[in-house]
Amino acid sequence: MATDFFEHQDIARRNTGRLVILFVFAVLAIMVSIYLLLAATMGYLSRDPETGAIDWSLAGDLQLVGIAVVGTLVVVGGGTLFKIAQLRGGGRVIADELGGRRLNPDSSVPAERQLLNVVEEMAIASGTPAPPVYLLDEEEGINAFAAGFTINDAVIGVTRGAVERLPRDELQGVIAHEFSHILNGDMCLNIRLIGLLNGILIIGILGYFMFRVSAFSSYRQRRSSRESSPLPLLALGAGLMVVGFLGTFFGNLIKAGVSRQREFLADASAVQFTRQPAGIAGALKRIGGFLNGSKVQSPNAPEASHMFFGQATSGLSGLFATHPPLAERIRQLEPSWNGQFAEGFPRTESAPAPHPSDAGVAGLAGAEAVNRGAAQSVTSAVDHIGQPNTAHLHYAAGLLDELPTAIVDASREPYGARALIYALLIDRQTEARKLQIAHLARAADPGVCKETLKLLPLIEQLDARVRLPLVDIALSALRALTDAQYHQFKQNIVELVEADHTIDLFEWSLQRILLHDLEAQRFNATPGRVRYRKLHRLQPHYELLLSTLAYTGHRDEAEAREAFEQAKRVVALPQARFRQGEECGLEAVDAALTVLEEAAPRVKRQVLKAAAACIAADRKVTIAEAELLRAISASLGCPMPPLLSM
Amino acid sequence: MTPILIPVIVLVLIVALAAMVTGIFNKLVTYRNRYKNAFAQIEVQLKRRYDLIPNLVETAKGYMKHERETLEAVISARNQAIGGLQKAAQDPGNAEAIRGLAGAEGMLTGAMGRLFALAESYPDLKANQNMMQLSEELTSTENKVAFARQAFNDGVTTYNTYRQTFPTVMFAGMFGHAQDAALLEFESERIQDAPKISF
Repeated sequence: MATDFFEHQDIARRNTGRLVILFVFAVLAIMVSIYLLLAATMGYLSRDPETGAIDWSLAGDLQLVGIAVVGTLVVVGGGTLFKIAQLRGGGRVIADELGGRRLNPDSSVPAERQLLNVVEEMAIASGTPAPPVYLLDEEEGINAFAAGFTINDAVIGVTRGAVERLPRDELQGVIAHEFSHILNGDMCLNIRLIGLLNGILIIGILGYFMFRVSAFSSYRQRRSSRESSPLPLLALGAGLMVVGFLGTFFGNLIKAGVSRQREFLADASAVQFTRQPAGIAGALKRIGGFLNGSKVQSPNAPEASHMFFGQATSGLSGLFATHPPLAERIRQLEPSWNGQFAEGFPRTESAPAPHPSDAGVAGLAGAEAVNRGAAQSVTSAVDHIGQPNTAHLHYAAGLLDELPTAIVDASREPYGARALIYALLIDRQTEARKLQIAHLARAADPGVCKETLKLLPLIEQLDARVRLPLVDIALSALRALTDAQYHQFKQNIVELVEADHTIDLFEWSLQRILLHDLEAQRFNATPGRVRYRKLHRLQPHYELLLSTLAYTGHRDEAEAREAFEQAKRVVALPQARFRQGEECGLEAVDAALTVLEEAAPRVKRQVLKAAAACIAADRKVTIAEAELLRAISASLGCPMPPLLSM
Repeated sequence: MTPILIPVIVLVLIVALAAMVTGIFNKLVTYRNRYKNAFAQIEVQLKRRYDLIPNLVETAKGYMKHERETLEAVISARNQAIGGLQKAAQDPGNAEAIRGLAGAEGMLTGAMGRLFALAESYPDLKANQNMMQLSEELTSTENKVAFARQAFNDGVTTYNTYRQTFPTVMFAGMFGHAQDAALLEFESERIQDAPKISF
């Protein structure tokens, strides 16, 4: 794979830019058409009474131009902004519109459980918080979609047909395809497309409305046989209709074109993820052999058609198809395909396919091990951002298998998930521990404290490496907290972290990942505007970040300075200046990350590479350092898969 | 110029109005879906509670031979509560179904309270390992119910408040949101008390 996560993000962003330009042209064309329509109508109204010739002299009137321009802007702009504002709620809103029902993360219905397990594994493998899963109960067709603005508010929706008809490996292929959309930055593009098209569509609707009203009044007037005819209004309405529908026509053409391209990419990434072309190809064959195919019945499906796994609307082919033909997609995955679609119900196996847990979970030993081989894996981790592979997937499946059931159960529902997070934050040291438990008994919900103490011994036996993946699972349940519940939860976390008056690396990382996700979720953060395209404009910020990282891994200043120099060499930052101890600290990192979040994806990659180099400089990486890197990466909106070879 | 300006203004107003009404419609649906999703969480936990109770009664039976009535009352209250839950789960927006569930839950909690009170006088039962574990699990499940109920009630409150505010209230009936959703209130806080009887 030549292009990586950051480049995909850049491409998605550039595509959005191109779309906006196309859209501006479309709006300009609409303005001109509307202006001509108005001029013709006005000319007709003041036509020469004898010859009936249209008076075109009015066309030069500036006021007419003004009306056409302002009218178009108000209507198209209003329609677009309205739709985008409505979609600000992110993926949830779209899932609701399509008739989705949110699955409980701890559901025990076998088919739902399988789907949720597949999603959880993918989430752990890619280092993203597990997205909420919506089931479209009414839909017979085999289809799925991913929607949202960012990784933090993404949701995955799956039709009942897909859950019932696809065996596990094919379902996994479909979900991997949807995860690729999430990781490739396609979702945000998709949502904006809906918004822009809605603006153009409104002109057509307006025209239709005007046409109907004036047709109606012309009918009444003819009956009372009065002089003035509403013919011009009728014609204006018809004209607007034509302009609006033409606009929508071209808009849909653009949408379909963009979408088809992204589908191929997502198929390819999904294969890279699962390394099983058979899974996703099997799902496609099943769609081809199934009467309902991938059709989605919901009335809102057309506007979201480009978000689905397969063609959701029927009857469109060629230029309007949002997805490439099935056969073509299957051939891409399986060049030797014989052209046969699969038919019938495959659901014979009920047990989830067991995964070999060959990728490192085997020895779940505690202790903050220092590992020399890990230095390599830290530096390569940056290359895996947004591009998890089969090894990560196996690791995730093995992890879910080996975790104690009490912990997994707790992580899947909001009540237990809170206790789990509290337990993760409780210190091993007796002094702070007493304070923390006393605080929980005082401030947390009754019962949660007990639940926390029950989980505590289990948590303390866990391998430290599984702590962050556990947070990824728990986040799904924690997003269901209501405002009041969240407020209390957040308060408690802050207090637990600060109980011993020092913040250790793990506490900081956990708090950072948790709150970054939950806040984004709550306040509907849209993907930040890119403000910084050049690394050198961010010099003070990355200097602070790297210097702090250098200090955390190395005892004395000379060593820290050396680590910093090494990071400078890796990403070629000749001007970077090492900051002294007193300037550094986790607060400084917090501030720096807020700024760095607004950097272009390319710039973020450089910063992360430098950060990884800083941590790995002494060829010794502690688990806490690795977690710190993941937290930094997550704060920048770049999901980092778990480190394997530690 | 005026003949053309007026329809343009009228149209802009119509567009604005249509946008507003669509927004209201969508928001009502979103809020309703949200509290319905919250109910699903209650359902899971209540089901677990109903699954635990027969085991508990079975264990108690061995010790409380002379309390058949109390034990039967618990089982019948549990069966009734299951019916109430099924009805409420079909449509969590139906105030009557929710009240029915609350009533049935109240009965069950009362019956459980009596069972635990009686159990006080059976020291062997109190020392039974199985009984201790079951009642511990019941406590934790009940806490989870309370927590999920809080989330549901928050969702219902948001929905009702939005439904009643101007201008939503003018359209709510038209869009099939004529009724307030009901809060799920269990009678008194006995559900919290019952498990506190210590073993």
